[in-house]
Amino acid sequence: MRNRAFCAALLLAIFPVLDAPYRVAAPGYRYEFPRDFFAHPEFQTEWWYTTGNVKTADGRAFGFELTFFREAVNRDASKQGAWDLRDIYLAHLALSDLDGGHFYHSERVNRSGPGIAGVDSAGGKVWNGNWSAVWKKDGSQELTARSGDFEFDFTLKSEKMPVVHGENGVSQKADGAGRASHYFSQTRLATNGTISVQGKQFRISGLSWMDHEFFTHQLSADQTGWDWFSIQLEDKTELMLFILRRQDGSIDPHSAGTYVDAAGKATHLRANEFSLTPTSASWKSVQTGATYPIAWNVVVPKLMITLSATTRLPQQELAATSKFAPGYWEGAMQFSGKHCSADILGVGYLEMTGYDHPLRWTK
Amino acid sequence: MTGRAKLFWRLMVRPIGREPVRMGLTILAVALGVAVVLAMDLAGTAATGSFRSSLETLTGHYNFEVTATGGVPEEIVGRIATSPINLAISPRMEDFAVVAATKKSVVLLGLDLVGEAEAIHLKSDDGASPSAPETENIATDFSADDSIWAGSSLGWQKGQHVSLIIGDRERTFTVRGTYDDQNQPAIVMDIAAAQRTVGRAEKVDRILIAIPESENLEAQTRQISALLPAGAEIRSAGTATDENRKMLAAFRWNLKLLSYIALIVAAFLIYNTISVSVVRRRAEIGIARALGASRSDVLLAFTGEAAVLGVAGAAIGVPIGRVMATGAVRLMGATVNALYVSSRPGPIELGANSIITALVVGIGVAILAAYAPAREASQIAPIEAMARGRREFLMRVHSLRDLTLAAIFGAAAWAAAKAPAVGGKPLFGYLATLLAIVAGTLAIPSVVHAAMKLFGATLQRTSVAALLASRSLLGSLRRTSVLVGALATAIAMMTAVGIMVGSFRTTVIQWMEGEVPADFYLRPAGNSSADRHPTISAELADKLATLPGVEAVDRLRAYQVSFDGVPTTVAAADLRESRKRGHSDFFSGRPAEEVLNELRSGDAVVVSEPFTYKHKLKRNDFISLRLGTSLASFRIADVYYDYGSERGFILMDRSAMKKYLPGDAPSNLAVYVANGADPAAIRKEIELAAANYRVLIFSNADLRKQAIVVFDKTFAITYALEAIAVFVAVMGVAGALLALVIDRKRELGLLRFLGASRAQIRRMILAEAALLGLVANAAGLLLGFALSLILVFVVNKQSFGWTIRFHWPVAILAGALSLIFVATVLAGFYPARIAVRLNPVEVVHEE
Repeated sequence: MRNRAFCAALLLAIFPVLDAPYRVAAPGYRYEFPRDFFAHPEFQTEWWYTTGNVKTADGRAFGFELTFFREAVNRDASKQGAWDLRDIYLAHLALSDLDGGHFYHSERVNRSGPGIAGVDSAGGKVWNGNWSAVWKKDGSQELTARSGDFEFDFTLKSEKMPVVHGENGVSQKADGAGRASHYFSQTRLATNGTISVQGKQFRISGLSWMDHEFFTHQLSADQTGWDWFSIQLEDKTELMLFILRRQDGSIDPHSAGTYVDAAGKATHLRANEFSLTPTSASWKSVQTGATYPIAWNVVVPKLMITLSATTRLPQQELAATSKFAPGYWEGAMQFSGKHCSADILGVGYLEMTGYDHPLRWTK
Repeated sequence: MTGRAKLFWRLMVRPIGREPVRMGLTILAVALGVAVVLAMDLAGTAATGSFRSSLETLTGHYNFEVTATGGVPEEIVGRIATSPINLAISPRMEDFAVVAATKKSVVLLGLDLVGEAEAIHLKSDDGASPSAPETENIATDFSADDSIWAGSSLGWQKGQHVSLIIGDRERTFTVRGTYDDQNQPAIVMDIAAAQRTVGRAEKVDRILIAIPESENLEAQTRQISALLPAGAEIRSAGTATDENRKMLAAFRWNLKLLSYIALIVAAFLIYNTISVSVVRRRAEIGIARALGASRSDVLLAFTGEAAVLGVAGAAIGVPIGRVMATGAVRLMGATVNALYVSSRPGPIELGANSIITALVVGIGVAILAAYAPAREASQIAPIEAMARGRREFLMRVHSLRDLTLAAIFGAAAWAAAKAPAVGGKPLFGYLATLLAIVAGTLAIPSVVHAAMKLFGATLQRTSVAALLASRSLLGSLRRTSVLVGALATAIAMMTAVGIMVGSFRTTVIQWMEGEVPADFYLRPAGNSSADRHPTISAELADKLATLPGVEAVDRLRAYQVSFDGVPTTVAAADLRESRKRGHSDFFSGRPAEEVLNELRSGDAVVVSEPFTYKHKLKRNDFISLRLGTSLASFRIADVYYDYGSERGFILMDRSAMKKYLPGDAPSNLAVYVANGADPAAIRKEIELAAANYRVLIFSNADLRKQAIVVFDKTFAITYALEAIAVFVAVMGVAGALLALVIDRKRELGLLRFLGASRAQIRRMILAEAALLGLVANAAGLLLGFALSLILVFVVNKQSFGWTIRFHWPVAILAGALSLIFVATVLAGFYPARIAVRLNPVEVVHEE
């Protein structure tokens, strides 16, 4: 188990540095690909977040998460040694064995060092040790990771262009200039490859979703956590929805979402255009004591979408070992309901943060 | 209590209390013997057996390591980290810092405090390891080059400023946090700062790797090996520690065996005590046998008596041994540091095992030593024993038989001395020593016999007291010869070790004449150790070379390597300078210039004698060395005598080393003063030039003196062991003389009755002591000479590979032997007083 206390100490120590020379997310950002797939070192925080639902030919289902974080620490130009600490790279890896009923996760934290972790735009690679995402010349992506419990090698082929969330190139998270991120997703990635777990290898295929977000200090003090959904429906449409929860229990008006139609066209959804409502089904973590709502109702009236979200595996919490470290729940979900009055099914992921204790991203 | 036990108590145990002084001395002798064995065992375990390189701290669960001479190129870290192998890595910088305030060396570790956070924390899973350094503001702390995290046993507080000497520079660091170091002190830095601090850019000293045991380790290490340059290797973590431990084993062995000398001496005393006991109880044995006691009862009774002495001795010996161990650890630790490897002794652990071993050894030796007299007692016929009129029972002396046996044992010793080492240990050498002692012991009665006859003849004409003394000793030849044997053995061992150490010392001094030619030597400040090679800034060397009056500055750069599983030093020097002046001793006998010319070609090396001995190599053989990223092959141009390091030394020209390891910073500097320049003035100039560097400057004489100080420190423990053995032997002489006096009460009474004065009696007893001392000294010296040949040419050569030239350390030997002689005579004073106090009338009345 990683020393999460240590990671958290890093994060807590780093975030308050406000006067650091980092750029903030501002409207009017012009995206350019493949450039924007890679690093934006002028922003303090950046992450590459891939989740997916895959199955073997005979129907054994898995969910997976591979996330790379980059957190800028120091931009002192005089320190140019390989080991000098400029960014801290964190990575989370998880596998949900939905039929076996197991959830495996591990994490790592590294500096770039002499090639230990980093982002290589020219080589098309984001990596942390031997966990990596590599962009191939043909536009496909290779995702590789191994831990003591399992390993996987996937090839991801995007069926749609990247979708930029928010308005005018920014996803606003709170009031005030810069309280925002640049956020785009690849919402439909056809996935093929292998998973080895407990000494057994499975050939799988399915759908993945990749989020890439970069920003400097986006949330505000009264935001205590968020619930985030990625939904991939059978009719080739996708939804990204998140709500930001506030200290008083209300939903922050900066909550938002994006609808992607079958052709890949994105529609921004404001907080008042959708609702995410937890049902009574919940799961209490023994490790952190947090209670997570694990079944939700998703309604987007203007798109005529009504879905119920459930999971086959309640324990998909990436538990933290210290009260200072955020634990979060990130798990494979299944959806069923109606889209334009037709019955529909879908898969996706749900991320819930701030349930063990309020997030302390800010002081 | 059964009848038999009651009998044993009355006949055997109770009499022990009747002669408290004599029995006390015997028990004390056993106690000291046991104590020394135990002390050396405990100290050996603490100082070498549980040896753990001080660098092996915070090494966590890592099971492999990648190393390369002069450091592993840092890009290898990235290569391994990203390889498709399920592993965890820990790249480290490893060095030593000298705490300016205390002058103590502390391990300095540069760890990847971001990636390592897990490993440091993980160690706490097994419940007995450090926790992660506590830290507050990592963003700033990590980036600051003055940040250190201190092991809790250093006693430093967070926020404290500490001055450290690293290499030849002193800098101030800030303690950012502390961690629980489980008494393995270390200073931790972030690897980026550490790299700058120790001045090894783009290198890491070691990469620790953890591969789960569930994986195919062989396949995985092969895969990693393929990522490495030829000069780097992957091996089991802690290999260096294992190699060092192996190297230390020989050293420990020798000390362990030396520790048995005192016990052997004690065995002689037990033998003597039981013999006396048998003689005294002759009549009682007869009665017991006549009343139905079997021979084995008698045998059992006397071995039982010895066992009681053994138990008492061991019981007293254990606590004494524990106390002695404390001192021994300090001495041994100093030696290990000076000659082998930087380490810190572990705690002394007096476990049940050590105590049981001590008891078994003490009681076992006592019973073994008692067996012969006990058996003799069991064979006495009851009638013979009870016959009146035979006051003195003379144990037979089988001169011819003993001398023949002595010759056989001597020949066996000779043969054993010729045998080669077994697994690097001079087992046959030790066997030869033991056989020689046995041979000597067997020969001693005849020697004593001859000596007494000779003395008797001469003494007849000088003094009556002396004549009586020699006669009396002759009269109890068996017992006397055992005494002489004990003392002679102790003296022989002392003489042998004295000759060996003295020869070694003289050899080293003579060797330094040729090997230490420069006027001044410089090395970084701090304690030196055989396996550590801190460096001096290159610019200081350049600066010194330009000083007026300095003719040349030689640089020597040394690296620690493992050659064929044995820790070795590889060094490069400006051979064209230093060797021109000294007359180097090469095995081939060729002039130094010729050998050095071959080295200048860059593909040849010279190696030290211990190196060739250990690896069974000779001139013109080829060796492969991992240097930098390369695996380079060198021809052995020649072998040179070397007494500086037991580890083995490989020396090449500096230009050859630079091809593989371009670093310019030297480990040592040798400064030559130009002809006609004033050395004192030059020294001032050097000191001035080096004012900002923490270096030590030694004049030629200083260096030699220093070397001899280290040498003597190394052998301090040997001297201590010797002294204890001799002390035990002298104590034995006192006890035995006392027994002789008591047994001759009647005789002494008669002498007084017949008109001998108190002074005459005293003189007689003292003369006996003097005669004993003299004969023991002579026999010991003779036997010691023979043993010293085995030690110098067999045991030492096979253990360490050194060729020592034989020298008689005349002054030391003469002094020690005289001291022993005086001590023996003094040991006669107490028995003499007892003898003088006897009331002649009373003694004769008893008859």
